[in-house]
Amino acid sequence: MGDHSLVGIVDLMTGEKDPRNLMLVFSILKVVMVEWDISNHAELLFDSVYNYFPITFRPPPNDPYGITAQDLKDRLQDCISSTSLFAPHSIPSLLDKLDSTSPNVKKDALNALIACINSYDPDTVSRYSITIWDALKFEVLNAQEELLSELSLQALQDIAKRLSEGVSQVSDQLPLAQYMRPITRECNDQLREPQQKQAKPAQQILGFLSAASFASFMLAVQAVVAPLLTIYQEADGIAKQRALLDTLVVLFDSAIKIFGEWTTRTPETNIENPLLEFKDQFSDIFGQALMGVIKEEVSFRVSALKGFLRLSTLRNFFQDNEVGLFVQYLDEILLKEESVGRDDLKKEAIAALTEISKHKPRLIMDITFPAFVATLPDFDDGTNSNYLPTLESLAQISVEKDIFETLVRRLLSKFNILLQKEQPGSVAYPRAILVTILYVMSQRKMDQDPNLELYYDKIVVSLCRNAAISASGKANNNILNDATVLDTLGRLCNLIVRALPRNKQDEVAENVYTLYSSADDFPSVPFSQSASDDQQRTMIISTYLLAGLPTDCASLPYTSPNMSALLFDVVKRSTTECAPATHLALLRHLSLLVNKFLPKSELSLATELFDTLLPSNAEGKTLSPESIKTLFWLSKALVLRLAPKTSDHLTSLLSLLSSPDKVTSTTAAHGFAILLRDDDVLSTANGANIRLLSKQRVFTTLVPLISSKIREVNVAGSDSPTPEHIKPAHLTALSGILSTIPPSLVMPELPTLLPLLLQSLDLQTSESQSVRIATLETLAVIIRDNGVGVIEECGHIQSLVTRLLKTAEHKPAGDKAAAVNSPRLRADALRCLFLLAQTPVSDAPAVAKAGKLSPLLPVKAEVVRSLGFVLDDPKRDVRKAAVDARGAWLRGVDDPPDDDE
Amino acid sequence: MASEMQNSNPTILNAADLPKRLRPAPSRKPGIFGNGLFASALPFVYASKLPPEGFTSSSESESDDDDLLEEPIDEQEIYDLVSTISDPEHPISLGALAVVSLPDISITPTLPYVPASPLRTVTVLITPTITHCSLATVIGLGVRVRLEQSLPPRFRVDVRIKEGTHSTADEVNKQLADKERVAAALENGTLMGVIAKMLETCQ
Repeated sequence: MGDHSLVGIVDLMTGEKDPRNLMLVFSILKVVMVEWDISNHAELLFDSVYNYFPITFRPPPNDPYGITAQDLKDRLQDCISSTSLFAPHSIPSLLDKLDSTSPNVKKDALNALIACINSYDPDTVSRYSITIWDALKFEVLNAQEELLSELSLQALQDIAKRLSEGVSQVSDQLPLAQYMRPITRECNDQLREPQQKQAKPAQQILGFLSAASFASFMLAVQAVVAPLLTIYQEADGIAKQRALLDTLVVLFDSAIKIFGEWTTRTPETNIENPLLEFKDQFSDIFGQALMGVIKEEVSFRVSALKGFLRLSTLRNFFQDNEVGLFVQYLDEILLKEESVGRDDLKKEAIAALTEISKHKPRLIMDITFPAFVATLPDFDDGTNSNYLPTLESLAQISVEKDIFETLVRRLLSKFNILLQKEQPGSVAYPRAILVTILYVMSQRKMDQDPNLELYYDKIVVSLCRNAAISASGKANNNILNDATVLDTLGRLCNLIVRALPRNKQDEVAENVYTLYSSADDFPSVPFSQSASDDQQRTMIISTYLLAGLPTDCASLPYTSPNMSALLFDVVKRSTTECAPATHLALLRHLSLLVNKFLPKSELSLATELFDTLLPSNAEGKTLSPESIKTLFWLSKALVLRLAPKTSDHLTSLLSLLSSPDKVTSTTAAHGFAILLRDDDVLSTANGANIRLLSKQRVFTTLVPLISSKIREVNVAGSDSPTPEHIKPAHLTALSGILSTIPPSLVMPELPTLLPLLLQSLDLQTSESQSVRIATLETLAVIIRDNGVGVIEECGHIQSLVTRLLKTAEHKPAGDKAAAVNSPRLRADALRCLFLLAQTPVSDAPAVAKAGKLSPLLPVKAEVVRSLGFVLDDPKRDVRKAAVDARGAWLRGVDDPPDDDE
Repeated sequence: MASEMQNSNPTILNAADLPKRLRPAPSRKPGIFGNGLFASALPFVYASKLPPEGFTSSSESESDDDDLLEEPIDEQEIYDLVSTISDPEHPISLGALAVVSLPDISITPTLPYVPASPLRTVTVLITPTITHCSLATVIGLGVRVRLEQSLPPRFRVDVRIKEGTHSTADEVNKQLADKERVAAALENGTLMGVIAKMLETCQ
């Protein structure tokens, strides 16, 4: 089979157009190109496939064959790159295509070029390397599109990789060196003025090429670093120096790619890093830039810090003492310097310390840790809270295991010292210490921590016991009588208890109420007749402990034969007045017990409780706010596990809204937000019984009822007067439910809901602000996800826009008659207007939309005019929102085409 | 495209060095970790401090003081409005190219002899990247359009080329100040297309 059949094959397929056949043809030809001797017919074969480049195929609608343009492109590309014999034809042709005006053609050409570079043999690649560079240079330096510039950089890097194959010794005679020479010269030229636009692409070229291989890195460093350092010394301004530092950072990044970081696991190369030659100079320059300039030059110092960080993590570059110097600089920045502007430098410094702690934990332990801990006060006398940033920094750098352990140990001993003090100062400090421990522990997988049992003893057992002592009034101070401290301690215990092994959890269960104390020292709260406020407050801890226990925990106190007595006791406490924090703990306790621990067979107990609190004949009854909240938390527990009587309970709760007593009605209205709101204690993380359909159930049960009730009130009008508070109460309840429901559930009901939402925007009282804000948030999500179309379908654009404009209006405070629109409300309304006009991401092809006018057009003039006045709002954020909204309406809502066109 | 480009390699200011408004740090109350690291990592610690039932009357009253505080339109705000416009030649903002800069923006009473008048004049001086830039007019027009769209009616807009930075500054200034010519330019579809593209990047 010789030349004859080769020519025949090409003749056979010439003129083929069917994509199905082309897929086959390309595959067949590729075999011919690779397997046969085609040296006499290279051009013929190349032309036979290259005729099809670039592929502009677009599959017909309802494409029956499943062939995409990309499939064809891939096969064609395989042919073009199949043999080095094509190089004299393919590379010039592909480079010609870069002159095309279509980005798609350029993209295909670059992709094909990359394929050729990677498959032709290195000698061929070398022959064309400089030609390719000359052509691609323009694409990178005058980048029109990011993607094209990226592909070009990729191609340049791939050439360097191919030319580095088998290179062990760097010399000037290498093809690689010849390729790199014009490139580094160009980069050096561009980088002489590092602030100019083309310096950035020059940096990128340098970055990509130097990261290609060890040899290319060597060549790049030899050619570039010394000139850069000279320009740096002669630079006349900090902005210029900064740009040069950024260039060096690009080189350091390449160094890290080639030599690895300290923690990199790949085997070490025994080649010397060419940057080592400049080590001292770098150290001086970056140290000087970081610490030796005025403090306000934040961006310059940040660049220096980034460079220093790269050098510190680069494997086998700095000695430990050199990294240590950098660590000391960072400590100084964090501890001694005043904040400047947005504190960018401090943020970077912390990030850098965190990064170094992964590579050199020892240095952080020896240098940073003692320095930071030494600045922590023994107690807070209330004059300053400087310890807070220090604790924050400590928390962030303590990711490494050793550092974490030391930090927890040190902080615990600080806390214990505080507990012993007669005059411990503000409780904010001990609380901050606990929050720090909580933060670092929540960042780790505690169930795999080998010291877990130690933490259990030191924190859960010992501190809970201390809390019990405090509650009985026998402690040196009242740190642990503070509700916020107890709350934080509770969360910390919760975190640990969840991770404990089963036998320890049983031990916790037994001590949920006794808090590891004997009955004489501390009477547990449930069933105690005379629990003091301090003792009641320990229910905060008990609740968190309970939350951390598994559902099938057998040894809970007071649960046999059933929970009845315990539940009634908790309810009794939660319906009497007490401090808010304690009350919340009691409510959570109740809902935990009912949701998580009450067996299915005993659910009637909960229903019984509900009926006691809210007898069915209670129409028009007045309930205390405590009782109402208890009812809602009890219902929350039941609703989340979708107990059998969920719908009945929800309906009874809704009837509270119609109570003639205003307080009962409004309190209940706010309660509806509780039902489905995510709670820290009653959460999936704590193993609460949360059924997936519970939200759906609440929504579908309540919304139709609320909607019909509001319609009833509207229709009734003045004939049979309903109390004024009833409609706002229903709207408040609705907004409470909506704020806890995913928008996808809301969408199908939109036609019913939208009128209600619009009515809640009509509420004018200042108490209704939170309702209106919630409504606007819901509207914003609906509009953002579905575009203006859905509002149009319901036919409410005009009424919506009018209300939004009204809400966006600023009225002077003196005018009592007018509604008060807080800045937040005004900004939210403007955001909705902005989203309305923002062209929605529509799948409909342009053809379908052409000729159709925007539904917003009828109101455009009104909106643009009204927004003109909102631009004068006294609040900056509101003005900003108004500018965006007005811009969107001017831009996004097209005027109708003129008739004469 | 390349042949039309008049200045292909202008100097660019680093984004971090552009003038920005520093928000007064929200007052940090000890004991509530609402602003620091712990708030982002443990949002519940902060959230739990709010009355859980949504009776937010206390937080409302807190912000009341802020509500009364007026924030007048200042030079930085004008700068923020125009600095994000992109240059017609490069996908780079006018701020980064130093075409507009904070010291070259001023707000003055339009009628200094009528102190009660709310009328204000905003003057923006633009600095073309090269002295013979023919796009200076387009840039000036873009700045003008942006400000007229974004400032309340009591503001008068005056956009001019900074003295000594352009070879035909007088002519350009005349064009920019001529209401008739500006209005005519805004009727020109191609020109509006260019300006709409410049304003696309405005944040």
